[in-house]
Amino acid sequence: MKIKFSNKKISGILSILPANEVMFEDEMHNYSFSEAKSLKLKAAMGFKSKRIVADDSTTGYDLTVAGLDYLFDNDLLDKNSIDAILFVSQSPEYIMPPTSNLIHGKYELDEKVFCMDVNQGCAGFVVGLQQAFMLLNNEGINKVVLCNADVLSPKVSKFDRNSNPLIGDAAAITIVENTSDDTSVVGEIRMDGSGAMALNVPAGGARLPITAETSELYEDSFGNKRSKNHLVMQGDNVFNFVQTKVPEQIKNIVENTNDSSETIYYFLFHQPNRFMLQKLADKIGVGREKLPSNVVENFGNSSGVTIPVVTTHNLGEQLENTEMKVCFSGFGVGLTWGTIIMKIGNLDFCKLIYK
Amino acid sequence: MEDFLEQMAEIMEVDNVNLSDELTSFEAWDSLTTLSIIALADDEYQVSLTNAEIADAKTIEGLHQLITGKQNV
Repeated sequence: MKIKFSNKKISGILSILPANEVMFEDEMHNYSFSEAKSLKLKAAMGFKSKRIVADDSTTGYDLTVAGLDYLFDNDLLDKNSIDAILFVSQSPEYIMPPTSNLIHGKYELDEKVFCMDVNQGCAGFVVGLQQAFMLLNNEGINKVVLCNADVLSPKVSKFDRNSNPLIGDAAAITIVENTSDDTSVVGEIRMDGSGAMALNVPAGGARLPITAETSELYEDSFGNKRSKNHLVMQGDNVFNFVQTKVPEQIKNIVENTNDSSETIYYFLFHQPNRFMLQKLADKIGVGREKLPSNVVENFGNSSGVTIPVVTTHNLGEQLENTEMKVCFSGFGVGLTWGTIIMKIGNLDFCKLIYK
Repeated sequence: MEDFLEQMAEIMEVDNVNLSDELTSFEAWDSLTTLSIIALADDEYQVSLTNAEIADAKTIEGLHQLITGKQNV
């Protein structure tokens, strides 16, 4: 699906990270690999530290609410100006009701405020932005609060060297608004459902409820141990998909808009790991310094929240004071890959806080 | 072929490799070497490989045939 909007802007981004920090070395001995092999993986992928919730009782909703409290308390967001709330996550509070409605209830928002949950992962920020832009085309909707929250660390096996070293938890709040300024947003989102199971959590939904049996650990051919309640990723298929589809998509968008990637200041991408991002930068043909890849080493991969995290961590002050053209791109579970090219800047806030 | 053998020796962290060497016989063999092979095939040979295909290839020679076979499609 193509994305094309005008008179829309982002006016603020806040990332909320758990205060709890875990180092790669702290968990390395859980993996059935030699220390030397694990350290080699660490160097190649850029693992160092990650931020995950201290215990399973902290959820994506909790991180989101901490962020909203911060914005209300610091007069960065007026409760009465909100027209819609989007909650994009793969870790909702309940199967029912929607988490966005819980947020609506907590802050006693007006009945006319529209709420919607979106089930999206790695592309969740791009899909969330697209949904926010579409909502803003409705009369009476002028400000959308886009919440991205993923707390997936409890869904990853501590004995899975494929996923555990890189997983992080986070939430982000992005304010998306209509503007009278002549702005341009272009992009595209594509899906390939034939690869839907390339990233999945087998048990816990309607198809396979959690039982004692699904909770048993099994070992894969590489020596990783996980249960059916845990996230499982076909790393090879994901790698091939990203390296093929993402550069193709960016090239097409740039060509179709008679633009040049030279005019793009930063490529703010989903952050799977440094290895994949450096390969992507090379393939797209942009300098690695224009495509920051330092989120996994500092915070971990928080699925749909990584684009706000890479943005607030690297460009926080800069985006509060200047404006620049950037390319957002998210890719992963679904399979879904989406890219948006737009100007962003002079934000009311562009910060990262800890909870 | 010379280039390929050098690239494989680098991934497997040995001085040199032989065509008949079994992939799983290398000390360095693990999921990271598999990913390195996938990345090499993508970068240098413009083909996509999966873990299963690499496992089926069994030897250095099998892997070379797998890559060149895909290139000729």
